[in-house]
Amino acid sequence: MSGLKFIQKMQELFGLSPESAESTKKKAVKELVKKLKLRHILLKKELKNETDLIKREALHDSIKIIKKQMKKGKEIVDD
Amino acid sequence: MKRLFLFIVIIALSFTFFYNQNLLSIAAGVAIFLFGMKSLEEGFRFFVGGLLDKFLKKITDNLYKSILFGTVITTLMQSSGLAAVIAISFISAGLISVAQGVGIILGGNIGTTTGAWLIAGLGLKISIATYALPMLVFGMLFIFQESKRLKGIGYALAGLGFSFLGIAYMKEGFDAFKATIDLTQYSADGFTGIILFAIIGAVMTIVMQSSHASLVLILTALSASQITYENAIALTIGANIGTTITAVLGALGAGMEGKKLAAAHFLINTLTGLLLIGFVPQFIHFIDHTAPFFGIAEQDYTLKLALYHTYFNLFCVLLFAPLVHHLVRLLNYFFQPKITAENAIDDVLFINDAALDFPDTAQATLLKETKHLYNNVYDIIAQGLSVTKEDISSGMEIEDILKRRDQALHVNMDDYYERRIKEIYGKIITFAIVAQGKFSDVTTQQFIPIKNATIDIVEAFKAAKHMQKNMLRYLESDNEYIKNEYNHIRKTLIKHLRTMQMIFNTSEEDVAVLLLSKLQLDAQNYDIAANKSLDNLIRTNKITYTMATSLMNDTSYAYTIASELSKVAHTLFVHATSESTEGREALILNEAEISDLTHASSPRSTS
Repeated sequence: MSGLKFIQKMQELFGLSPESAESTKKKAVKELVKKLKLRHILLKKELKNETDLIKREALHDSIKIIKKQMKKGKEIVDD
Repeated sequence: MKRLFLFIVIIALSFTFFYNQNLLSIAAGVAIFLFGMKSLEEGFRFFVGGLLDKFLKKITDNLYKSILFGTVITTLMQSSGLAAVIAISFISAGLISVAQGVGIILGGNIGTTTGAWLIAGLGLKISIATYALPMLVFGMLFIFQESKRLKGIGYALAGLGFSFLGIAYMKEGFDAFKATIDLTQYSADGFTGIILFAIIGAVMTIVMQSSHASLVLILTALSASQITYENAIALTIGANIGTTITAVLGALGAGMEGKKLAAAHFLINTLTGLLLIGFVPQFIHFIDHTAPFFGIAEQDYTLKLALYHTYFNLFCVLLFAPLVHHLVRLLNYFFQPKITAENAIDDVLFINDAALDFPDTAQATLLKETKHLYNNVYDIIAQGLSVTKEDISSGMEIEDILKRRDQALHVNMDDYYERRIKEIYGKIITFAIVAQGKFSDVTTQQFIPIKNATIDIVEAFKAAKHMQKNMLRYLESDNEYIKNEYNHIRKTLIKHLRTMQMIFNTSEEDVAVLLLSKLQLDAQNYDIAANKSLDNLIRTNKITYTMATSLMNDTSYAYTIASELSKVAHTLFVHATSESTEGREALILNEAEISDLTHASSPRSTS
């Protein structure tokens, strides 16, 4: 067994087996998109109840950003 | 003085070697063994990048796991000194607590006993020199490979080979010595003898900085019957006390937390040693009774010494493991951080030489020190806006803050830079450059953005400094229009700083990702709106030309502050953990995406 293989075996043994950078990134993005979806729902609810104009505008901006982020995340995951 | 001492030592050794070849053989054995230990350490350093960080996070979340980790790592590396250095480095970088570090040290004490068993059980009973030579050959073969990991294996293998060779030389030297001189005639009996030999053991270990080397020397001398069993036990106690010097030396360049750990190591081993030194005869009796259970023959004193070493260290762990938290409290009492007075020069809080031992600790330290610098710059930018950082973090409506702070706050920003920024900034940049040169290319890539974030922080400060002059003038102006414009700059930057604080304080990744994009959107919206407002004021002759020029410049400075700080928040968030930085970064909108959003939304009126 080569040195590298031995190290990989040890990493697997301790649950540290390295995944490819691409799959790790996709996994992280998927998790984040899930959280952003929930945040999107929360912000929409908040917007419904908000009467202050400036705060409504800020919430609008946040919702716009989240929508764009969710779209971007979906593209990365589907890629 | 040091040089004179070295000169005397060289002359004395040369003289001794000239008259006694056997002593040369023993000294060469010690030297080769120590060289082997250094190689072994070097080999393991190739594996610690990234891997050790993950390991520590998984394993050292409670005291008993820390002890286990210390035991395993010392057994693998055969060096309690390196375990102590790892613990000090990780504590200095704030990756583990002092209590967890003490756990690693206690585990290291147990791990070091395996070495005594290996030497006593195998090293002195079989001809290990025969294994040493092929290990050296294969080790060197691996060292010349390109791969870092293979290089690491090569160093570890060569290290083991040299250690084995060193043991063989020592053994040979003592065996030959036996034929010409009997050292046991210098043995000392009774309590005085124990004290004397314990001191010799401690001094010997301090000089060699390796309890392992001392143990090998003691065991080989004992196996050649050159010292008595009782004196060997006293030497072992001394070696256990002397070994703490490695941690003490390692902590000299470390921060306060590292010093606490070194003190803990010294206290634990010294107190155990002082306690057990009074019970050597009783322990010998105890070993005589228990040795047969482990299959140790009555006359096998080397294995009996290994058993004593194990009992000593187990006793040490059993005695101190339940007291770790009390010990940490005691250390916290004696090692208190210096409080920087408001007008004193602020210095780095985390950067120290120990943090440069491993890439993970260097990165964590760089990140923390950059946040420290940011906090100072945040404080002065707030004052430059004639508010305080407490106002910003208060949760008050921004309009209310501005009403409360309607007078200009005169603060000397150059003086603040000299006292609380310059020193830290310089040390961060130096640390990053040294770290970049020390570690591999992959790790270096992590240092560059953090170093750039430090530069961005100082750029934001410079912009705030340039803006302050007009801010002070126009906040007290009679022209309501220009005053309103400067209040608008204040409002925008207070909002920006508040969002930055939220990003640093939130534990929710999605909130941080959203706010980071929002920072950029707000900065771009502000830039567009401020320019429109400026055009309007000039066209309607509401401000003078001088005022217009100042406002134009200061709008640009405000935009620089906002955008530089956005970059800082981005970098510090993305690099907060070594795991999946790309994943964290992917959803933060870039400049072009933000521009799309800005142009899609209708512009706001600011006047």
